[in-house]
Order: sequence, then C-alpha cells, then structure tokens
Amino acid sequence: MATEVCGQIIAGLVGKILIREKSGQRIELGDLLVAEDKEGYLMLQVFDLIYGSQITQLAREMISGMNLEGMGAGLEFLEPQLRNYIIAEAQGVLRVTEKPHVPKVLPEFFSTVRHVEAKDLKFLTVPPNPVYLGKVRSGTKVIDVDVYLDGEEALRHHMLVPSTTGRGKSNLVKVMLWSILGQNKFGILVLDPHDEYYGRNSKGLKDHKDAKVNLLYYSVNPPSGANTLVISVRSIEPDHLNGIIRLTDAQEDGVRSYFQMFGRDWIENIARGTDVQGVARSTRVVLQRIFRTRFGIRVDDQGNLVCANRVFSESAGESTISDIVHSLEGGKTVVLDTSKLGDEGELLVGSIIANEILERYQGYKADGTLEEKPTVSVVIEEAPRVLGQDKLEKIGDNVYSTIAREGRKFKVGLIAITQITSAIPRDILTNLNTKIILGNEMSTERHSIIDSAAQDLSDNDRNIASLDKGEAIVTSIFTKFAVPIQIPKFEDYVASQATQVTMKEKVRFTG
Amino acid sequence: MILMQRFAHVSDIHLGANSDPAISRLELQAFNQAMDECLKENVDFILICGDLFHVSIPDLRVVDDAVRKLRQVADRGIPVYAIYGSHDFTPGGKSIVDIIESAGLIKRIVSGEIEADKLKLNFFVDPKTGAKIAGISGRKGGLDREYYEMLDRESLENEVGFRIFAFHASLDEFKPQYLSGMESIPISLLPKGFDYYAGGHIHGRIEGTLPSYNHVIFPGALFGSQTRDHEASGKGEKRGFHIVSFDQLVREVKFVPVRVCDFIFRDLSVDGKNVRQAQEWLEENLESLDVGNKVVMLRVRGELSGGKTSDIDFGRLIRDLAERGAISVYVNKHGLTSKEFAAIRAAGEDAQTIENRLLKENLGTVKVSESTLKGEDGLKLAVSLLNALRPPVKAGESKQNYAERMKEQGIEALGLKEVFS
Repeated sequence: MATEVCGQIIAGLVGKILIREKSGQRIELGDLLVAEDKEGYLMLQVFDLIYGSQITQLAREMISGMNLEGMGAGLEFLEPQLRNYIIAEAQGVLRVTEKPHVPKVLPEFFSTVRHVEAKDLKFLTVPPNPVYLGKVRSGTKVIDVDVYLDGEEALRHHMLVPSTTGRGKSNLVKVMLWSILGQNKFGILVLDPHDEYYGRNSKGLKDHKDAKVNLLYYSVNPPSGANTLVISVRSIEPDHLNGIIRLTDAQEDGVRSYFQMFGRDWIENIARGTDVQGVARSTRVVLQRIFRTRFGIRVDDQGNLVCANRVFSESAGESTISDIVHSLEGGKTVVLDTSKLGDEGELLVGSIIANEILERYQGYKADGTLEEKPTVSVVIEEAPRVLGQDKLEKIGDNVYSTIAREGRKFKVGLIAITQITSAIPRDILTNLNTKIILGNEMSTERHSIIDSAAQDLSDNDRNIASLDKGEAIVTSIFTKFAVPIQIPKFEDYVASQATQVTMKEKVRFTG
Repeated sequence: MILMQRFAHVSDIHLGANSDPAISRLELQAFNQAMDECLKENVDFILICGDLFHVSIPDLRVVDDAVRKLRQVADRGIPVYAIYGSHDFTPGGKSIVDIIESAGLIKRIVSGEIEADKLKLNFFVDPKTGAKIAGISGRKGGLDREYYEMLDRESLENEVGFRIFAFHASLDEFKPQYLSGMESIPISLLPKGFDYYAGGHIHGRIEGTLPSYNHVIFPGALFGSQTRDHEASGKGEKRGFHIVSFDQLVREVKFVPVRVCDFIFRDLSVDGKNVRQAQEWLEENLESLDVGNKVVMLRVRGELSGGKTSDIDFGRLIRDLAERGAISVYVNKHGLTSKEFAAIRAAGEDAQTIENRLLKENLGTVKVSESTLKGEDGLKLAVSLLNALRPPVKAGESKQNYAERMKEQGIEALGLKEVFS
C-alpha cells in the first residue's frame, strides 16, 4: 500500500469534504483516507467521485468534438495533470487522537490526504470474545487488519445480515460461527434451510478442530455421528404455534381445550379425532387438517401417529429439545438441517427451542444466575418469514419477534439474515444493533438499511450498491465507525486456520 | 414352510443392586421368573444386553443364586448370550460375567479388532437359528463412545442374513426426557439396516423405529436398581423383557411382563409447612393407604417454612407403614429443603445426576487457571476420577494392592501416565 499523498482537501463541509485527487493516484469509492494534523488524524471515507476541470464546459466539449471528428491531431492539454482531475467526496468517519472518537472538527484546509494504512487502525484490537468478520477494506484494497466484534455484546444485541442473493451472506455467517466455535462461550442455534453450514458434502463447521466437542448437527437423515432431527410430538405446546400458523379464535380455544384435557398428548388426540366437550366437531376436523397439512402429523391405517417429514414422532425424540437447549447452555453450536421440512415445520421446530431457551433464561435472570450463562443466539435465514411486518400483523407476535424486542435483557439474541430488509418493521430493525451490510442493488432495500444503521450512512447509498461479493460494511453500536470489510472466502479462511493434527492415543478394544 | 424362531431379549437385571434383603429377594425372583418364562416359551436363545449384575464383583450369594438359574437354562439347551453393561464391566480386571462364561453358562458375543483406526466387529452366529449377532459392550462414563465412532459400519451393513445389533448405551433419539443430561450416542453411530437393535442401559421400556433403524428395543430394567426405577414402577411402568419371533425378518416383538410385587408411589409436597404441620400432614395422607404386600415409594418435597428437614420423623412413618404390611418403604427427600437451613440442593434423583450436579456446582467455587479443570472439561475429569476411584476392594485383595490399583487408575484418569512412568 502506498504511503504517499493521494490528494488534498480543497473545500466542503462536515458531511461532505472535497478532495482533489493527485495525478497518478487512484481514489476509489469506499476508500479510507487519512488527513493528519498535529494532534492526530482524521479518517475519511469516500462516498462519491466526480470530475473536476479548470477548462470550461464549452471548451471541453469543443476539444472532445475535435478529437472525435479527426481534427485534433497533435492537440494536447498544456500540463493536463493540473487542468483535469478527479474530486472525491468524502465524509469524516473517525478522528483519532489519543483514542478514536466521532469527528467534530473539519480537517485543516488544504491538508493532504493519504490512503489508510495498518498503523492507522491500531485501535481495532481483538476484543475479549472475538467474532471474526474479515479484514479492513479500503475501496477494493484489503488492509491487513482483522476486524472482530465482541460476541458478548454483539450477539446479545442482535445482528442483521442484509443483502441480495449471491453476495455471501451464508459465507459471512459461516466465517463468524467458525471463529467462535472453539470458544465455548456462545450457544448458537442455526436453523439451516439450505443445509450449508455443517458441510455435509463440502467444507463446513464440521471441519473445525473443536467440532467434535462443540458442534451438534441434527438432520432427518444424519450422516454417521450426527443426530437425528426427531422431536417427540409431545414436546409441542400450544404457545409454540404463536405467530407460526394463523388460528381463528375458535381454533385457538379448541387447541387450549385439548391441551387442558390431554396435556402432552393433545396433538395425538386431535390427530386421532378424540372428541372434547366444548370443541365443535367442525373445529376439531379443521385442527386435524391443519396438523396434517402444515406439519404432516396424522394417524396412519394401522393407527400409528406418523409425521410425513419425519421430524415429529410418537416414540422418539423425547429429550431432543432438552438436549439441544442443554448444548446451547453449554456454549455449543447446534445446526438444525431443516432443508427437508416445510417453512412452517422449520419455524415450529425453531419456535419450540427458542421458547424453551428464552423461558429458561428468563428464569435464570429471576434467580440471579443469568450472568453465568453464555449468550445464546439464533441464526434465522429469510427472517421476514417470522419478523415480517405483514406476518406479525396477520398472525401476531412470535418468539422471534419477542427475542428481537426484549431478548437482550435475557442474553438471547438473533442473527437475522434477509434479502428484504424493508419487510421488517422499523422497531425491530432498530433493535438489531449490528448490521453487516453486503451488496444490494435494490434501492428500497438499501434505504431501509441505511435508515436503521447505527452510524450515519445517508451518503453511502452508492457505496452499498457497489459492494462486490464478499465486501461488506459493518455498522454497529459497538464499532466506532461503519467499518468496510472484506470477508474471506470460507474455504480460504478454514485453510488459514488449519492446525496440526495431534496423534491419537492407540485405542484397545475390549469386547 | 419357514419355521418361526424366537429369542428373548433381557437387559439391566442388576442382580445385587438392592441392599434391602426383602427387595433383594424380589430382584432375584424377577430374574428367576424371566428365565422360567423363557424356559416355558422354549425360546431358541436368550440375549442379555448388559448389567446382569450391579457390580463387577458382586456378593457371592447373589452370584450363587444367579448361577443356579442359569444352570437350569443351560441344562435345557437354551444358550444365553451376553454383552457387558456399564455396571458389570471392569477395565483390566475380571468380571463375574467372565467367570460365569468360563463355567459355560453364558457366552459373550462381542468380538472384534481395531485395524487402521477402524473397529471391525465379528458376527457371532447362533448355531441353531443362524441369527447373526454383533455388538458393543457398555462401559462406564460413556467410554464406549470411541468404539462407536471407530466402528466399521459398512462391513456390518453389507452382511446378509438375520442380524441383531446388541448394545448397552443410551441413544440420543430414544432417551427419556428425564435423562436429558445423560451421556448418550446418536443412533447414526450404529450400523444401519439390521433386523433388530437389542438395547440395554435405559431402565424404561422403549420400542421405537427410525428410518434405517427398525425395531430399536430397550426392555428396560427387569426389576429396577434405583429409586427412580421403583418410583416409575409405582407410577405404573411395567417391568419385563421381550420375546422376538423371526424367520428372515422380525415377525413379532412381544413384551413379556415380569411382576413380582406391587409398587405404590406417592408424591407429597410439604411446601410452606413447618416441621410439625408436615409431620401431621404426611401421617394423615398415608393413613388410608393400602400398603399391604407392596413396596412403598414416597417422594417428599417442598421447602419447609420452619425447622430442619431432619426434624421430620421419617423413621416413624416408615415403621408405621411396615407394621401395616409394606414390604419395604423408600423415602426420597432430595427435593425437600428448609428455609432456615439452606444447603446445596441436589435436584437429580439418581446417584449419577446428583454427583454431576454437585461437582458442577462446586467446580464453580474453585478458582483455577488450567482450562481442563474448569467448566465441562473440569466436570468430565472429575467424573472420570470419581469413577476410577469408586470401585471397592475386591474379595481377597490386600490393602496395599488396592491402594496401588486405585493410584494407577487415578493417574490414568488424570491423563498423567507419562508423568509417572
């Protein structure tokens, strides 16, 4: 990285400082520049580029015409580097004196600027519970400075990963989860509708050196050593359906009556068509149909309670929920492969676990032991399925929206991944205190992200639009400024983390 | 026409578990009844999936009684096959199961070798029925998990014929809710496609099926070895074993109940009462109970508003129930506390859960820098050390030899073998 001067401040105001680019230098959109003074330096970020010229517009048009029409042979500008140039529009993002703080002064008029270097970013230290995000990026240039968030804070206060498809959302989350897998400090529940986190057929979290101890993988067709995603139908309680499926008042009353009458066997009795006083036959029939069509739960010809997607079972999975919650409380990562489940099945499974963990953590808070527990975070893809405005309005609140609104008090957070940020209500977006913004070509989506960012990104619309795959901006109440980052490709990151394989002690078999 | 064949699947007999002579007699009676049923049904073989005895070297009177019955079974030409359970396995030493095998009364069917980090199990073929049995014995503290992880499943899955997989381990997918914290393995570590999975270790009856795993059966404890088992019996859990009819496939799995006495269970909350009120309330509640010829299981819980928990005269309650004809009376007071005398509560009900909880709670009070001594790692180490130092003196073992054995096991558990070698 060059250390030479790349431009000079020539005009502007606090939110828009104009910098003339030095000839031969190249200032890019998103570049981080440094203007030094006696007390320290101001870090600026470029949000737009425009042409500047000493020659009038009419003259430039004429010169261009002569060139294009073949009448300009030998026609040159006198000292062209002085007459035509590029002006960068930049915003002061951080002033660093003894420590970094939000800039409240303009840099000195006519002070020169240079590209940021690793030494300028020494304040980006490794926090106590690091979640790795990538390296600092200046424009397209990667600076050799790692960017971490403190997991204890960031996970508890929720994260949002917004971008359109193919920009590396899952890659980012995989990198983050890999970096915390060995720490044993965070319980992470991943609802994985694309079965891409564990790495069944490619590199994934399973390849982490601590995966054997700290990673659990549940799938309806697990590879050897992994767990079967099977949950006793008796684990489902009426509250778990809140916000997942829409029930009429009569159906909701019916559900409560069955639960009151049969306890944990309430669904079985609905599926079997047991009559309950106070529940109309038509309501029971509709409930039967709801459980059959939405969750695949029905009674077969032999009278057995069966579940089409194999997740809910009459005879197995009694302790699955407790085991998962126990693992999360033990600071482990639990990946649920929900790729074989329908939307509602997936959300119901997540709802059962999230409810259980939230209730337990509320209990820990009540008895004063919460601080001993690791923060638990739920990774939810396509978040508007549960956090979408229309969903919440039509079906009502669910455990995910409850977590988004008040989970941080109980050390339960969300990592919400979405393509459609605008579908999430503003009060929830505001609660997602860290946003890792990847590329997004949709203007409405960019605006809803910018409007709810922790830092002022109002001039960064173009910056966000131009983010390439793997490039992101981290805006968080826990970062001093909106940090542009380059996220490593997961496979490369894993390769860089490779550790020496220790020799296993020879095992003796005793039959 | 293909002739139907049958075998009996029994597990967790735990002979010698109960120190109360009356219960101990019932425990043996349950074993005898199960064997008599097998003789009556004339099964082709009996498969015991671990924990025939409660300890590896049990009281010789218990062994004598068991051997007599096994002799009867052997004399009728019914082979008894077995695997070790976590209780009757002893690392390095001889277990009573080995001695009974040497006497020709049972046959251990687990064999295999480790080649290139893969555990290749051999099938044992029952000469009469041709049933092929492979399996892995249980070991304390989940040490058998490593075997499952190394298992060459493919070779087992490729074998043709009627195949039984015998194991003594808790499975994640079939673990009862109350055993959630218990060490267990996922079923995916077992070979797929066997005709029958004969399980042991879980004390409740489980009959389950999952894709690629048909007939996963745990008969549960034959009589019960711990308070929770007897409480479950008092709540209506049936004890017994399974008889499986098969030709090339399993045709029927029948549960055969074994009932040697009636159990009665009462869950009594004295929450908010002082000692005097609690005593009166308990007596009043138990007054009308028909306890004649029954094992009575009482769970007394709640927080006393005044006085010590030990001030309740449970002895008087027990004597009264015994005088009214109860075979035996157990009082579970783990959930009983007092406002005045707060103590570390052990909410778990079986010894292992209580130990784990107490160790975990106490680990939090010790300040150490070494990470292996903290958290889950610390707990594992503590449990493994406790297990290593738990075995009692063997019959005829000198104090010096016992001390030496304990030292060696302790060093091994702490992973300090190299330091001391």
